[in-house]
Amino acid sequence: MAVSCLTRALRSLTLSQPALLSSQAVAQTKLRTQVSGTVAQCRGFLTTASLENNRTYWKEREKYTVRPIGMKKTGGRDYTGRIRTHGIGGGHKQKYRWIDFQRLRYEPNKEDKPFDEKVVEVRYDPCRSADIALVAGGNRKRWIIATEKMQAGDVIRTSAVIGRMAVAANEGDAYPLGALPVGTLVNNLEVQPGKGAEYIRAAGTSGILLRKVNGTAIVQLPSKQQIQVLETCMVTVGRVSNIDHNKRIIGKAGRNRWLGIRPSSGLWQRKGGWAGRKIKLLPPMKSYVNLPSISAN
Amino acid sequence: MFPETAQRLKAAAPLVSQTRLLKDLSRLYPHGGAFSLQSRRQISVSGCLSAKIQPPRKPREPVEIPGLEMVTYGERMHFVPGLAKPRYPRWERDYKDPRYYTAPPAQEMPLYKEKPCHVFNQRTSALEGVRQAAWLTKAKVIPGLPPHLLSLAENPENQIPDQDERVQNAIKHARFWDTTQERPRKEKYSNTLLLNLLHLCATLQSRNPAIGRRILAEDHSLAATWTRGDDLFQIRGRNGLLHTSMDPLPEVSGKDEVSQTADYVLETFYPVSPTIDLQQVNVYKEDVNCSGFTGDYPYPHAHTLYFLETTDSCKLRPEQFRAKMVMFTFGNALARAHKLYGTEPQQLLDRPVTVQAVGTNGRIFQFLVFQLNTTDLSGDDGIKNQLWLEDDVELYDFAKVRPLIKKKQVKVPAGLTGYKPEVFTKFLSLYLHGAA
Repeated sequence: MAVSCLTRALRSLTLSQPALLSSQAVAQTKLRTQVSGTVAQCRGFLTTASLENNRTYWKEREKYTVRPIGMKKTGGRDYTGRIRTHGIGGGHKQKYRWIDFQRLRYEPNKEDKPFDEKVVEVRYDPCRSADIALVAGGNRKRWIIATEKMQAGDVIRTSAVIGRMAVAANEGDAYPLGALPVGTLVNNLEVQPGKGAEYIRAAGTSGILLRKVNGTAIVQLPSKQQIQVLETCMVTVGRVSNIDHNKRIIGKAGRNRWLGIRPSSGLWQRKGGWAGRKIKLLPPMKSYVNLPSISAN
Repeated sequence: MFPETAQRLKAAAPLVSQTRLLKDLSRLYPHGGAFSLQSRRQISVSGCLSAKIQPPRKPREPVEIPGLEMVTYGERMHFVPGLAKPRYPRWERDYKDPRYYTAPPAQEMPLYKEKPCHVFNQRTSALEGVRQAAWLTKAKVIPGLPPHLLSLAENPENQIPDQDERVQNAIKHARFWDTTQERPRKEKYSNTLLLNLLHLCATLQSRNPAIGRRILAEDHSLAATWTRGDDLFQIRGRNGLLHTSMDPLPEVSGKDEVSQTADYVLETFYPVSPTIDLQQVNVYKEDVNCSGFTGDYPYPHAHTLYFLETTDSCKLRPEQFRAKMVMFTFGNALARAHKLYGTEPQQLLDRPVTVQAVGTNGRIFQFLVFQLNTTDLSGDDGIKNQLWLEDDVELYDFAKVRPLIKKKQVKVPAGLTGYKPEVFTKFLSLYLHGAA
């Protein structure tokens, strides 16, 4: 239908005799002018391409699966088709393994009980710098971010109970912040309870639990910034796996292209601010807790 | 507009055949687009190339007010701005057309049950392998085949003349000669090898006429149901090759060994539950027990199952392959026991049902003998079934089409190397069990 619309419009642009009419009609000039006058009239048509893309349908799967999902690369383009982030494109094809960042996810019939899971396999993930681990517990299997010394056959514990005494946590276990002793190295930090881990997920990173203040806990992130979150937020203990990730040497431009990183512009940005030592004060502590405000009456 | 133009054209062109003009006009305006004679619309193909991108607009959400009837433009048969879009009920075909059938959701199916059933099918890859299969079948795993079974083939009467040479020829045929290309593919050569070995064993029929009372069957559907604790389990699927016979297999272990298994404790694997990786279904038929054949089949007793590794649909690792072998052997035995003794769970069967299995990938063989002593599988205590498993025996080391040469030295020569004759004796003994 789009093709016929296009051809109809383009036909209206022709100035020569329309060859579509039969030869007998050519004799009727008056008829021809009238017909050409009518033929010239046409609805306009869009010259831009359709703005829909089918690049995000692979993300819309609802049921969790352990099977790797085929991914469509965007090349840094957004839904309009223009580049929104430069320097992304190409690279080896990757399949997405759906990581379950909400560590405290109970099985359908076993709510509210601390549970154990067994690590089946620790493997490389092309989509992130850390390694991932396949853990199996009860009736289900899921992928999680592996910690530093996790190996196949380990048993890891997840518990939401905050006791009076702090728990002597093993590496890889997940507890709420209120149950851990001050000074533990933590990763996969939730800022809102139940939302899923959003911070400290990269290879080799770890945060430090600094102090616990009536119902909230203060954690220092790898960038030395401190945040205050509720003490019921889940967190795993230990450093994230693949700790030598920052010591790797890319070696050649081709390896960067294999990772999907396109070359940067090369233009010297005068006011880029990259050179020189930077001394910056730490930003103030960010609080993700809605404390009741002390209002002076 | 179009009839007016048509009239004008008709008035202006009496000489032209009107039908042809109308045909041309209908070709020009196939969709009957509206047009006027006045002005010529301009079409521009250039637009602003650097406009600000609008954020994606969310469509307006329709508001539902209960009790209030919406005034729609449905009756007027065309869009009217300001009136609501009519919503029509879904049209259902009043006759049944198999091409356009959509299944109802699971809750509305007639066989829907609240309690889920765990199904093991031929694509299941059990996480814990043989340990999980042993727990599910309430069996004690004994590594190695029973010794009196092996002595069957040691007997020189039961050996094929020129046995080693003929077996080596069979391997060479399967691995080298059975193709027009350079080398046959794995699924082809494993299948050919198995059939060749079966043919060799069947040549002993002149000495043991009981071999003639057996038949091979392929791709039969198996179904068996049992309960274990609170959960319902079913095994469903299509087997590979099955050897059935008119007579049942004799039992492998005596009564005292069977009663000793009551002391054995089944292996559990906390924190993984034994139902992991099994398909959970809510729509199932209860108490379905089908051995794959109808009641009056002349060869009803399952003798040996032969499993080949499938390469395309589901690749199973060796441990998972053995678990599949165990489960299907158990399924065949259980279906037979249910037919003989009824579906009520029985503590101890008078005559235990024995089924054998052989699995191969063309080079490595797994041998299995399963003896079903009890159908009372709900508790973890009591008499257990028995399972003799010999895994990962290689029939030969290498069968190379081109020799492996490293640093100008031949590491592995071309042809068949490392043939082990004892593996075929085990195969033969499993074959002759019950006949010799």
